[in-house]
Amino acid sequence: MGQIEWAMWANEQALASGLILITGGIVATAGQFAQWYLGAYSIAAGVLVCLLEYPRGKRSKGSTMERCGQKYLTRAVKVFGPLTSNYYIRAFLHLGLSVPAGFLLATILGTACLAIASSIYLLAAIHGEQWTPIETKPKERPQVGGTIKQPPSNPPPRPPAEARKKPSEEEVAGVPVGGPQENPMPVTDEVV
Amino acid sequence: MAVSWRSWLANEGVKHLCLLIWLSLNVLLFWKTFLLYNQGPEYHYLHQMLGLGLCLSRASASVLNLNCSLILLPMCRMLLAYLRGSQKVPSRRTRRLLDKSRTFHTTCGVTICIFSGVHVAAHLVNALNFSVNYHEDFVELNAARYRDEDPRKLLFTTVPGLTGVCMVLVLFLMITASTYAIRVSNYDIFWYTHNLFLAFYMLLMLHVSGGLLKYQTNLDTHPPGCINLNGTRYQNIHLPEYLSEHFHESFPGGFSKPDELTQNTFVKICMEEPRFQANFPQTWLWISGPLCLYCAERLYRCIRSNKPVTIISVISHPSDVMEIRMVKENFKARPGQYIVLHCPSVSALENHPFTLTMNDFEIYSFLHLVKTPRFCPFIQSRNYPKLYIDGPFGSPFEDSLNYEVSLCVAGGIGVTPFASILNTLLDDWKPYRLRRLYFIWVCRDIQSFRWFADLLCVLYNKFWQENRPDYVNIQLYLSQTDGLQKIIGEKYQALNSRLFIGRPRWKLLFNEIAKYNRGKTVGVFCCGPNSISKTLHKLSNQNNSYGTRFEYNKESFS
Repeated sequence: MGQIEWAMWANEQALASGLILITGGIVATAGQFAQWYLGAYSIAAGVLVCLLEYPRGKRSKGSTMERCGQKYLTRAVKVFGPLTSNYYIRAFLHLGLSVPAGFLLATILGTACLAIASSIYLLAAIHGEQWTPIETKPKERPQVGGTIKQPPSNPPPRPPAEARKKPSEEEVAGVPVGGPQENPMPVTDEVV
Repeated sequence: MAVSWRSWLANEGVKHLCLLIWLSLNVLLFWKTFLLYNQGPEYHYLHQMLGLGLCLSRASASVLNLNCSLILLPMCRMLLAYLRGSQKVPSRRTRRLLDKSRTFHTTCGVTICIFSGVHVAAHLVNALNFSVNYHEDFVELNAARYRDEDPRKLLFTTVPGLTGVCMVLVLFLMITASTYAIRVSNYDIFWYTHNLFLAFYMLLMLHVSGGLLKYQTNLDTHPPGCINLNGTRYQNIHLPEYLSEHFHESFPGGFSKPDELTQNTFVKICMEEPRFQANFPQTWLWISGPLCLYCAERLYRCIRSNKPVTIISVISHPSDVMEIRMVKENFKARPGQYIVLHCPSVSALENHPFTLTMNDFEIYSFLHLVKTPRFCPFIQSRNYPKLYIDGPFGSPFEDSLNYEVSLCVAGGIGVTPFASILNTLLDDWKPYRLRRLYFIWVCRDIQSFRWFADLLCVLYNKFWQENRPDYVNIQLYLSQTDGLQKIIGEKYQALNSRLFIGRPRWKLLFNEIAKYNRGKTVGVFCCGPNSISKTLHKLSNQNNSYGTRFEYNKESFS
């Protein structure tokens, strides 16, 4: 199937599952269902999953669309190093988180969705993908006039740069130089 | 600049009107169904058992019925292409509605998501209530088999429950793969998961056949809330013990208290036990039509595209572009239409859209930007691989010939739809309504202009010969100026003098077009990056002092 990046899809799925878990958990806790503590767990697990999955990983080829405001969470997620960049660990983490919520009616669908996301992460891990943070490169300020070392020493019309470089060779070869003019006075750049 | 109301109405009015109609239909359905289950006598006992959950679940189900049936219609691309080209849709305004088909599809999809969430939550509460409010008098009405049956068992052992869970999972897979980020980066995942819609519809048809929610059939002989003189009282089934006591208190030995009877005039006597029957699955009626239509169209497209095309030649153009010329029998395309290409030797399952750039005595051609080495076999070998095409499908660019004045803006490879328009004008421009075309082409690399430089020059010369030099106004823009080369080629003098360095200044351009075409309606067509498209859309809605109206037409590719 070409080069499909499974991790990106798994990421969307995990984020959606986290939201479903939070919703189910709120319904269970607010409705004071039996075993409502599982509802509270489900909210906590959902929040953790959402925070972990919010920063999108960098694609191996091409540019990646960042989620709004994800750079702060990227820094936090990067701190954990291989724990978060390895997809095997993520797959098993999601599987583990989803199991307790499966015992409550309101959150059972969240469990199913997170389990699917975990299996897609496993697939991504088998394909050798891993999470790399999207680094924002500092903007290179265009250096104004960086390549201009000296102002032109001749008035126009000026021959192109290649012709101006040649005089030393031509002098050696004995060809009469009809090229660059020699100024009687040094010319300075007055622009500040 | 102030928004011109005439322009806004022309550009956005019909679209918003349709949205309003669709929204009202949804609200009406939701409200009607909610009231039916809340107050209808045939659902009285069921409502007492389940409460608000019943009303919410059924109301959201009726909205889902509507949207599941409407969502398939914008995807019948051959039907839309036929409507676009035929005389059956004479009004340009109606044809422009067809441009919004993909947006409508997405809107229905989002609605299905939201209301599925409501439907699932309400039914989970219903499952709980079925189990908690189990009553011996209403055994056939209850989905649970005994009191306090685990609601999770109800979910997984009934047909509606199990199919519902499977549908949620299928929907989850489809939605998570349909986000913009995935479509732009991994289109394959989107395409393959979206084809799971068929499984979704099959499960939906099974889901509604379960007949779990029943209505009462014998309302005349057993009005709800009536008193049964022999046994229990059918009024409040939440508190059966309290009621049986109350019953014995108020009626000791029959009708011996006439004043109580006269006070309680709303109480009726039951003549028989209530009987319940499952509803006919309405969903089958809603979705069968569009589903059959869509499946028929897919089948037809499959059969039609089964014959490979005959590739006449492959031409290599600068900037990694390749032109393929082909012939296919029984294939006719209008200018501006596109096809979907399938090349099994490159990829067994991928399909990609390409606009046709030329129709020259039934020889069609299209351009392909060769970014990956997968397509090298075309260029290097003489043995062309087999190519299958599906289509042709319509696009908004077909309409550019129907305006008196058109402004066509192309960004890079986005010039292809306009190339077919230009080729058509080269053949014969008189049958069409178009009398002036402004053609703006913005590229990053100067060599890209060579793809159609010949076509442009020939067209220019032709109009000069026919003494209509102002028919086509060409402006070429080179947006990146890193090269020293400022001319396209020695022989393209007409184009060299129309080449500008830098980005176009849209406001000035619109002003100029408005001034020279006072009081006319100008069709604006854009095929390029989103930023240009947004700017043009905004400018089309703005006021100008010349009374010119700009109608904006756009194609969305992702």
